[in-house]
Amino acid sequence: MKTHFIKLLHYVPMGLLVLLFLSCERDLEDLKPAEFASNPEIFIDGFSAGLNYAAFGASVPTAFDLDKAVSYNNTAASMRFEVPDAGDPRGAYAGGSFFTEVPCDLSPYNALTFWAKATQAADIDVVGFGNDLGESKFQVTILGLAVNTNWKKYIIPIPDPSKLTAERGMFFYSEGPEDEKGYTFWIDELKFENLGTIAHKQFSILNGEENVETAFVGVTKSISGLSASVNLPDGVNQKVFAASAYFTFQSSDPSIATVDAAGQVAVVGGPGTAAITAKVGSEEAQGSLTLESMGNFEQAPVPDKAPEDVISLFSDTYSNVPVNYYNGYWAPYQTTLSADFEVNGDHILHYTDFNFVGVEFSSPTVDATAMTHLYMDIYLPNALPSNAQFKIELVNQGAAASAVYSKTITTDQAQQWISIDIPFADFNGLTGTDKLFQIIFVNENGAMSSFYADNIFFYDDGTPPPPLTEPDVPAPTPTVAAVNVTSVYSDAYTAIAGTDFYPNWGQATQVTEVEIQGNKMLKYAGLNYQGIQLAGGQNVSAMTHLHLDFWTANSTALNVFIISTGPVETGIALSVPTTGWVSIDIPLSQFAPVNLNDVIQFKFDGNGDIYLDNIYFRK
Amino acid sequence: MKTKNITFKLTFFAAWLLTISFFGCKPDDFQKLDERNWSLVWSDEFDAAAGTLPDAAKWAFDLGTGEGGWGNAELQNYINNPENISLDGEGNLVITALRNGNGFTSARIKTQGLFAQKYGRFEARLITPYGPGLWPAFWMLGENILTSPWPQCGEIDIMELRGQEPHIISGTIHGPGYSGGNPITKQYALVNNRFDADYHIYAVEWDENKIDFFVDDFLYQRIERNDPPGEWVYDQPFFMILNVAVGGNYVGFPTSETPFPQKMVVDYVRVYKEVK
Repeated sequence: MKTHFIKLLHYVPMGLLVLLFLSCERDLEDLKPAEFASNPEIFIDGFSAGLNYAAFGASVPTAFDLDKAVSYNNTAASMRFEVPDAGDPRGAYAGGSFFTEVPCDLSPYNALTFWAKATQAADIDVVGFGNDLGESKFQVTILGLAVNTNWKKYIIPIPDPSKLTAERGMFFYSEGPEDEKGYTFWIDELKFENLGTIAHKQFSILNGEENVETAFVGVTKSISGLSASVNLPDGVNQKVFAASAYFTFQSSDPSIATVDAAGQVAVVGGPGTAAITAKVGSEEAQGSLTLESMGNFEQAPVPDKAPEDVISLFSDTYSNVPVNYYNGYWAPYQTTLSADFEVNGDHILHYTDFNFVGVEFSSPTVDATAMTHLYMDIYLPNALPSNAQFKIELVNQGAAASAVYSKTITTDQAQQWISIDIPFADFNGLTGTDKLFQIIFVNENGAMSSFYADNIFFYDDGTPPPPLTEPDVPAPTPTVAAVNVTSVYSDAYTAIAGTDFYPNWGQATQVTEVEIQGNKMLKYAGLNYQGIQLAGGQNVSAMTHLHLDFWTANSTALNVFIISTGPVETGIALSVPTTGWVSIDIPLSQFAPVNLNDVIQFKFDGNGDIYLDNIYFRK
Repeated sequence: MKTKNITFKLTFFAAWLLTISFFGCKPDDFQKLDERNWSLVWSDEFDAAAGTLPDAAKWAFDLGTGEGGWGNAELQNYINNPENISLDGEGNLVITALRNGNGFTSARIKTQGLFAQKYGRFEARLITPYGPGLWPAFWMLGENILTSPWPQCGEIDIMELRGQEPHIISGTIHGPGYSGGNPITKQYALVNNRFDADYHIYAVEWDENKIDFFVDDFLYQRIERNDPPGEWVYDQPFFMILNVAVGGNYVGFPTSETPFPQKMVVDYVRVYKEVK
């Protein structure tokens, strides 16, 4: 259902396909200066002369053809349009424009009409006229034209025929597959008419809404939502989207805001108010934009963090990471609207009717583990009735609840930029920052009505992160084949049975089994010494190494012993503390004179908190 | 206006499809009317200030939802709020149908008890509303309706229109044995134009022998005394009614696509007597 109708791909003069019909070109005998012929007929039984067809870029170039078998009212031929299936290698959709070489005077007519039917009920994405593959100055479009399997007459009203004295765009269309499936539709009797059966033309800008916005010198806006509506012969209104050239825009006070012919608004002065309205001919369009200019805009402070220390969500200073939206319009309780603006090249988020609003950046999520702070600038443009509570919720994927920070904003802080600079540690309930995906702003006590926001980013203030006190990831998964392993403790292998990991040798060490990301490991808390009692003497003489993964943040001494009956024991010192997991493979020869035919125990001694995993003999 | 019997509806529509008539512009023999000398006896030009209700000396209100939607399953609630009925200050009475949530409000006024006349010319110049489910009308009922209930009192519909066909109006009489879905009626259609686009003059000229129906002084229907299959009940005074109904058996329901508000704009209502 995508519509790409910009690029010209194939350009076929229709004169090659069809016989001569009425022409838009002037006849010599009635030549008059600066006046074009007004042939209303585009396709009746064939094409009018001088008509060209061009398929739009990335569309199926052969989607359009003449059909002599199917036509409205059994005439000689109709126009057939074959919409491709999704994934068709020839193109993603059917689309193109019919246009004349020499402009036509369409001012005597008030509508483009045609008969259409399709092989199935469907909504044609785009149909209209005024697309000349160039400026398309007077383009008119209907979006989602419903067709079905019966021939029906369709009417596309001309917003202001007096403008169309030299038009080249006669008809254009664009339609993608319906539910991934292609289909065919036909159009016949395509012509301009002057209908007395359509009435009550109305025009709208901004979709007919009366918008009021706060603004500053330098703010630019575009007047969009331009449409015309005409009542059809069946009493129902048909809305068409109309190009800006049909409209004449005006400002009630050009010293406050100006508007150009294309509907581009610029706030140039203030404080003061200017209303932007429009007319088509002498008819007032519904809808207006009232700009309440506060005068010169006070920019938020320019951030001074180094770009490499920043993950930015919204800023003109840094490159922003992908953000799904800055306002999720979360139904049904959110009232917050967005009226974002740009002033002197600086983009500002503007939230109005503020109760709460969410910013989401989940594709992908943001890993802010290297960052230490959340920073943002906010500005409350209205006076505060009382001290406000601006609550910020930070959400990490997988967390049970959002982490919360509330900032009190005193009444004297209104109408100035406020820098909010929060260490992650100050977010209550923040369990991780590795998969951040939402920030939610909440008007906690309802004291604010709206706010601007700028420079929302995470940054690293340069202080090293506090050392971990426990592993954040499991030990590496062993890769030695199981047949070459005699395992004592590992999730990766079947261990020898009957091992006691917490024998009472009078030690102070507390042994627990902990699980990190689904992987089990042993934790020795407050080590003095600790044994592992095997079930009888184990013969590991066929093995060559003892493997061990260990992790400790606070140990300064750690030795591992193998013990055979006697007891005969040998200790090997391990290098501690570690940076992350350390995997070690100790040749069994280093444990001599321990009898490798009769290993009965392990022992660890030293100090600190130790994590152990993947204790096995291998060859 | 009344279509009491819903089972008549299908038959009625079918008949209408077959009998729709398009009249040309050229005068024909039918249009060679007898010379009449009409004398104005009653009129409302609606010239008072904007926002005022219609003159209470000339018009009374029908209010509420009527019994069974005024006998036709109409959806609107008639009220006498200036929002629904008032003068526009430019010489017009405006009756406005509004969509209020799931319901509709509109207005209906009548000369019952204030003015009625037997025979003569009754005319109004007005712009109709439009849109599926809109049902404007300029019509008359026998003044004896309280003692001779409808359809015995007689009904003369000078103009009514279905909003989904804004180019067609109907002129109709209902009487005993020919009422509801089975009246004597005729449509008049505009070619490449529609009645909501501009003012048109709707009139009947009525005497003891016939009732003639006109649009813009074009005679499109003559019903003579012997034409009705039942009794001729048009020898007594009738009063006039102006209303905009929404929904009902005659017109069907409005849809979500029906544009609201909808206005009937009445320039004047005039009644003449023949002076011999």
